[in-house]
Amino acid sequence: MKMQYHLLPFDFTRIADTEILVNEVGDMMVVPEGTIQRIIDRQMEKDDLYKSLVANFFISEELVPPLLDVYAARLREKKRFMDYFTALHIFVVTLQCNQNCVYCQASSRKEQSEHCTMSNEVMECSVELMFRSPAPVLTMEFQGGEPSLHPKLIRFGIEKAEEKRLSDGREVRYVLCTNCVNLTDEMLDICKQYHVMISTSLDGPAFLHNANRGKTDSYEKVIAGIEKARKALGNEQVSALMTTSVQGLNHPVEIVDEYAKLGFKSLFLRALNPYGLASDNPDWEDYTRKFIDFYKKAFEHILELNKQGVHFAEEFAIIILRKMLTPFSTGFVDLQSPAGIVNSVLVYNYDGYVYASDESRMLAEKGDYAFRLGSVFDRYEDVVYGNKVRDIAEIWANESLAGCSDCALKAYCGADPVRNYSTQGDMYGHRPSSLLCKKNKAIIEYIISLIVERKEEVVPIFKTWLL
Amino acid sequence: MKILIDRNIYSDECISKCVYSLSEVFQCNRQLDGNTESIELIPTNGFISDEDTKRLFLQKLNDFKLRQIVAEETKDIRTILYAKAFADYEDFNIEEAE
Ligand code: SF4
Repeated sequence: MKMQYHLLPFDFTRIADTEILVNEVGDMMVVPEGTIQRIIDRQMEKDDLYKSLVANFFISEELVPPLLDVYAARLREKKRFMDYFTALHIFVVTLQCNQNCVYCQASSRKEQSEHCTMSNEVMECSVELMFRSPAPVLTMEFQGGEPSLHPKLIRFGIEKAEEKRLSDGREVRYVLCTNCVNLTDEMLDICKQYHVMISTSLDGPAFLHNANRGKTDSYEKVIAGIEKARKALGNEQVSALMTTSVQGLNHPVEIVDEYAKLGFKSLFLRALNPYGLASDNPDWEDYTRKFIDFYKKAFEHILELNKQGVHFAEEFAIIILRKMLTPFSTGFVDLQSPAGIVNSVLVYNYDGYVYASDESRMLAEKGDYAFRLGSVFDRYEDVVYGNKVRDIAEIWANESLAGCSDCALKAYCGADPVRNYSTQGDMYGHRPSSLLCKKNKAIIEYIISLIVERKEEVVPIFKTWLL
Repeated sequence: MKILIDRNIYSDECISKCVYSLSEVFQCNRQLDGNTESIELIPTNGFISDEDTKRLFLQKLNDFKLRQIVAEETKDIRTILYAKAFADYEDFNIEEAE
């Protein structure tokens, strides 16, 4: 006999001979094959599975679930980042750099280059714009090139922000993205005075890091810089990011071990992106396939370390797991819907123009201004609510994009109009041929498959990562 | 290979979504004759046996049909859910909306 209940919105995928149901807030249920058909045909038994489906908002015994308000509040919480609006403000202080990275994503220029550093006037107007954002916590992130080449400009920017902060009452966090090669005492004094976090780049062991930098002594200098910064600011104020170069793809274990050896508690396994000089990498399809393989190998090694009692986490997985296993939203701009651009990040470029994201200004370095939103001298409203942003807003939610709207993973993934534009020629994008989609899908499915097939082993580890 | 689909069972939307999802794997030609749609699938890259083509296509098609049923049956409650979650007023009342 058919049961009487009502369906609630959900999507599904199939992984490891099971059906994975995902509801509107990203809650996941792993059920045996054939369950979806039985749910739809009202052929469920009143057993534990049925009760779980009701409790987790996949079906409802009443037309309007009695706890709909709770469910709506959870949905709102998952999209909380929209309430805050732009929280991350990237200041591209200069394009000058003292390194020569093979995959440079910022199209940096030589240390002596002229006309590629922000003026005080642009810095001041950018700070003004940043404070127009309603976010309760603002992050002011200095990027380059190598921003530490200009400590006086950074001090000027922070002092302007501090003046505003004191009258405005909001919290401002400062981040310096630096290669740590030449961290001067002057720069560290600024960091100490204003609690500036240091985010540096380290691609793995010496042979790999140096090869990626096109130098023979870069590794030694970075390690010395990290040590100096830790001593001056404390370990927790210094973090590192790696980028997986083509050569790095062959060394997943060595990269993880290097980070663990240096006392870092986590690692973000980051793929190259196709901007800046990095777009000269010829075969993205091959790279993406190999990166997925690299990710899994590195991840398995991280799990092994955890089983040996070393607390060490992978940051991309943490973002996915947080979306899957907790009620909270994440602040990671690359996996958001509506997209992180403008909603969560704005970029003030050295030349006085405002861009939708870091990747947008990298496109501009190639002469493509599709995501230039205006100038730092413009009115805030014209920059963030102007025609350009309205056009982008039409296609920045994966809930309404072909391919994504029917994808069970959309609650964990994000929309990226800039990447679609730069790799596929239009902001809307074509999911079946998108390499970003392929990568995200493969990694998210891999994490789900671990939960399905090796639950006892991995879930206790994942829980420690989410503490 | 050619697959014949009964349009009384699978809607245009359902078939379109299926074809889109496989557009990297197959080039597709669609032709409607009465209530039967003939779908020609040509692998874009390399060889895929007719048997595998059919299995892949029909499995995807069935999944899109399941999604379509869920989407249609839950359209209203989804709208209410999103209105409740994101409307800018606190006292949105379902009874009044129904
Ligand atoms: S980009 Fe791909 S994996 Fe992500 S939601 Fe869209 S279809 Fe799914």
